[in-house]
Amino acid sequence: MTGVTLEGVVKRFGDVQVIHGVNLTVEDGEFCVFVGPSGCGKSTLLRMIAGLEETSSGSIRIGARDVTYIDPSERGVAMVFQTYALYPHMTVAENMGFGLKMTGHPRAEIDRKVAEAARILKLEPLLDRKPKALSGGQRQRVAIGRAIVRGPEVFLFDEPLSNLDAELRVEMRVEIARLHREIGATMIYVTHDQVEAMTLADKIVVLRAGRIEQVGKPLDLYNNPDNRFVAGFIGSPAMNFVAGVAEAGSVATRGLGQVATSVALPAKGAEVTVGLRPQHLKIGPGDTHRVELTEALGGVSYVHLSAPSGEKLIVERHDQVSLEPGAMVGLSFDVRDAMLFDKDGLRLR
Amino acid sequence: MFPRPIQKSSPVAQWVYTIALPVALILWLFPLLGVALTSLRPASDLAQGNYFGMPSGIAWENYVFIFTKTPIGKYMVNSLWVTIPTVIGAVSLSLMTGFALAVYGFRANILVFFMFVAGNFVPFQILMVPVRDMTLNLGMYNTWYGLALFHIAFQTGFCTLFMRNFIKALPFELIEAARVEGVSEWRIFWYIVLPLMRPAIAALSVLVFTFIWNDFFWATVLTQGVDSQPITAGLSSLNGQWIAQWHLVSAGSILAALPPVAMFFLMQKHFIAGLTLGAVK
Repeated sequence: MTGVTLEGVVKRFGDVQVIHGVNLTVEDGEFCVFVGPSGCGKSTLLRMIAGLEETSSGSIRIGARDVTYIDPSERGVAMVFQTYALYPHMTVAENMGFGLKMTGHPRAEIDRKVAEAARILKLEPLLDRKPKALSGGQRQRVAIGRAIVRGPEVFLFDEPLSNLDAELRVEMRVEIARLHREIGATMIYVTHDQVEAMTLADKIVVLRAGRIEQVGKPLDLYNNPDNRFVAGFIGSPAMNFVAGVAEAGSVATRGLGQVATSVALPAKGAEVTVGLRPQHLKIGPGDTHRVELTEALGGVSYVHLSAPSGEKLIVERHDQVSLEPGAMVGLSFDVRDAMLFDKDGLRLR
Repeated sequence: MFPRPIQKSSPVAQWVYTIALPVALILWLFPLLGVALTSLRPASDLAQGNYFGMPSGIAWENYVFIFTKTPIGKYMVNSLWVTIPTVIGAVSLSLMTGFALAVYGFRANILVFFMFVAGNFVPFQILMVPVRDMTLNLGMYNTWYGLALFHIAFQTGFCTLFMRNFIKALPFELIEAARVEGVSEWRIFWYIVLPLMRPAIAALSVLVFTFIWNDFFWATVLTQGVDSQPITAGLSSLNGQWIAQWHLVSAGSILAALPPVAMFFLMQKHFIAGLTLGAVK
């Protein structure tokens, strides 16, 4: 088992640079998740690690081996595709054993490994079926089985759950987490779903426009984001942001009034953004904010408010109170929960 | 639903349909019916000018005659000797060129592809003299392999266009998945792409078989004599031999039309839609 190291990795498509010098270390046995909005380069980065995209410059190492210019077949990785990419003319068993058969493994060994993978993924009753006779979740399990069978050093997942319905996605998420515990291999997982990222990852890599925004443990990113992008991307519903202006020891905002703070503020009059997570806002008496909508989900309710400045805020409540749209309420919060960002989006600490 | 069932359209449309369909069918089949009927006419009917009326009797002996008294059997065998190698050659070559053009993004890809396609735009009649001279110089004039070789050369362009587009339509992730699994490119071609190409191979085989079997032009340009002429050229020489014996030429034509039909039914079970079902999503 081995980790993966990226050093100054750059990808250009013609004149367009899409990955701008990424440095990253994924430890041996770690579950690393790449998240980011569509088009941020996370899939491209994964495909570069797999060898399906050429690396324009920089180097990629798997364990101690430099694999930057090595063919995908020799990298010792297994990849699970978003679209599963099962061989449609082969049965489930043949699909899983195909790679081993092509690399000249003896029949008995292939059968044993396929049976083992089928047991782990509960695919035994399906071994003789063709992919078209399987449901989406089953196909996904076969695709994962095909990866397991080869016993690779590194598993790569390219948005494996995005074609499944919500219920199945939760189920498969648990299954992938279990798989990682059982096999203990290094896994790199690409998703745009931050819930998947939070629940699966040992380490999250937040990407934006071909650059790493922040790397860290899920809760570290949640509790201590380095910049406004990460703060807004991690956490659901997203963090509320309110524009303000720096004053001595406080930030003046139209959305939340005066926010006192102890962090080092930029010069007086500079733009500062105040960020507050929905659970840190409390509705109280007052008439500053207007209720737009209440989403009651049972255990939790989300109240959508509009601030005097026109900014939208979401408040999380753990009761089932229903507020009429149009009603005026007040907002309170603990200033220690507020995060401040400068005009470039960097966190002020 | 499209097309809408004819039963659901207006009475006028239904009425037009019931008239137009048989008319179109008769128009379409009329020459063939004429040939079929003529092939069963006794020679005396034609001598008396009864070309389109009811035959005075059914003359099966026309078929017996062309088999026993003319070299039509040999012509048929010649045709097979030209057609089968051409089908195998053109289809297998174009599978490989098609794979290369569809899967690899090398620099001159589009240019090479364009040249394969552009070859189809050259009217082959203008090549008649140079090709004949070339075959003579190569010592292949009047041989089955000379004819087959030139057919392969001329067919590969179209076949490459066909195969390249078909392979391009396969989910590319299948090839990538196999690559990541450590499967070599040749094996990807053999074990992943070829099985999924079955409908295309069947369709193209039938098409090329029919093209080549029915080819008259190159058959007359590149071969002469019973030893090497295929059936199309052979039939026309029958015509010269029995100037007024159209019933025999018709019988020969009907026989000559059978192999492509047989080929179609032979390959029919391979025309399956949805072979890649279940591969992605």
